[in-house]
Amino acid sequence: MDVLKVENLSVSFYRPEGEIEAVKNVSFSLREGEILAIMGETGCGKSVLCKSILKLLPDIAKRKAGHIYVRGEEITEYSEKQMQKLRGSFFSMVFQNPMTALHPCMSVGEQITEALRLRQPTLSKRERRQRAVELMELVGLDHPAERAKQYPSQLSGGMAQRCVIAIALAAEPAVLFADEATTALDVTVQAQILELFLELRNRMGMSIVLITHNPGVAALTADRVALMKYGEITGIGDVEEIFEKFGYNQNLISCG
Amino acid sequence: MKNLGIIRILYHAGKFLLSILVLSVFVFTISRLAPGDPLYAYYGERLEKMGTAEQEQARARLGLDEPIPVQYARWLQGALRGDFGISYQYKTDVKEVIAVRIGNTLLLGGLGFVLIFVLALLLGLFCAWREDRAVDRLICKIGTVTSCIPEFWLSLLLLLVFAVWLGWLPGSGAYSVGKERSLSDRALHLILPLAVVVLGHLWYYAFQVRNRLLEEVRADYVLLARMKGLSGKQVLRRHCLRSAMPSYLSMMAIAFPHILGGTYVVETVFSYPGIGTLAYESARYKDYNLLMVISLLTGIMVTFCSMLAQGINGRIDPRTRGSVTVGRGEADRL
Repeated sequence: MDVLKVENLSVSFYRPEGEIEAVKNVSFSLREGEILAIMGETGCGKSVLCKSILKLLPDIAKRKAGHIYVRGEEITEYSEKQMQKLRGSFFSMVFQNPMTALHPCMSVGEQITEALRLRQPTLSKRERRQRAVELMELVGLDHPAERAKQYPSQLSGGMAQRCVIAIALAAEPAVLFADEATTALDVTVQAQILELFLELRNRMGMSIVLITHNPGVAALTADRVALMKYGEITGIGDVEEIFEKFGYNQNLISCG
Repeated sequence: MKNLGIIRILYHAGKFLLSILVLSVFVFTISRLAPGDPLYAYYGERLEKMGTAEQEQARARLGLDEPIPVQYARWLQGALRGDFGISYQYKTDVKEVIAVRIGNTLLLGGLGFVLIFVLALLLGLFCAWREDRAVDRLICKIGTVTSCIPEFWLSLLLLLVFAVWLGWLPGSGAYSVGKERSLSDRALHLILPLAVVVLGHLWYYAFQVRNRLLEEVRADYVLLARMKGLSGKQVLRRHCLRSAMPSYLSMMAIAFPHILGGTYVVETVFSYPGIGTLAYESARYKDYNLLMVISLLTGIMVTFCSMLAQGINGRIDPRTRGSVTVGRGEADRL
């Protein structure tokens, strides 16, 4: 069974100037343990698509049509309360800029334990702290116990992104959204983070939706690719198949 | 490192003392250059019956016949020994005159400050939570109107309604005669002045809190917090408030003397026996020594609070802590 299935989803922004169609009639499904890259140029509706699945869009954006299923159960009409439960446990997300995604005035350890507290309220304070350190080690941070006491301003971009990933993993999600998760990082760190995604998928069996504008990232990590343009999915399939069909050649990919 | 700390403390203390010294020179000179006769404060009506020679004699006795720099030097000499002279009006040690009244002002200003501090936070939080809904817009409009009303006028308005028309609350003083020790009587007398102090300042600070929070709500970390499964309200309370707190605290540190200064006007209107009325009287009657001490006290407070405000941001905001612990991981950053 598909872990996530989106059917004919359309999302529009309602501005005083008029309606802007950001996502048009999009359908795709995500299999258990699969990495799906949603690829397209900036402004094509990738982020809106993913935020509308999570119902994190501002009030001016409305879902016009479509259905969303999670393991066969329809969540399209879920209330905010029900979505909150889903967000902390079934879904997780990693963002583009780790330096602004982390709370500037909370130590990273505290930010991870907060996610743990919401997900596993039965854990004691000490257990939570211990688990946070384990998660930090899992995402490849050195000296995790000391790092946990540090603030985001004391970390580099790569380290901060690893912390964001640790927070996302605290939810033990079935589906992880990575919204341009490597775009703000330099190339070597980018490769490390992508490798981390692959490793986490293999180890924990979660599915990942990788949102990117970068063909290289998609080619390196994804099992399947969905191409998006002007709010529509123009093609979806295995990486080689799509890249061949739409003329992304090897040179372009290695540029990324 | 330890040495550096001591040097920094000494540096700030020196700066502090220097500003107070400069302030004392200014207040001293300006008060003496302003028109008016201090002898009037001392002798009152009797002054008119005194002859010129007698007046000159009195002036010499109070040391007011010498040039201003000499007077200042003498005043400074005394002040360094803790002797600030006598009040011309009350004819006792200035320190005693102030000691009797400073409690009243601190009570009014302190209570006002605490109320403003808490209410502004709650009101700002509420408005940010209900951003742009009808309640928020209504509160914003009411707030803008109230904060535009001058304090003295608001005082008179409240006096008219609650003391004159309705007769519910006493209109002046800090206690009824013979009831100095009655707590309930004091509280009754505090209500109107306190209401003016709070109403006069509240919205300005609440509005700052509201706007700061609305900036925070749009920050990226809010999405991450929402992804943890927190509700919008929880994110506002736990995350946004926390991020806005350092700047709120330093703003309120500067606000403290400002709010206390606001009580001066209120005290005068309500004839509330505090430093405010005293300051007003001493300036009016040229009670030089009293005026000096009150100005210096105010100056010390303002200077201290603004230094505190500067310190707060550096100490409690981890965003400013970046460069302190680099060490490991720096290679990664480069």
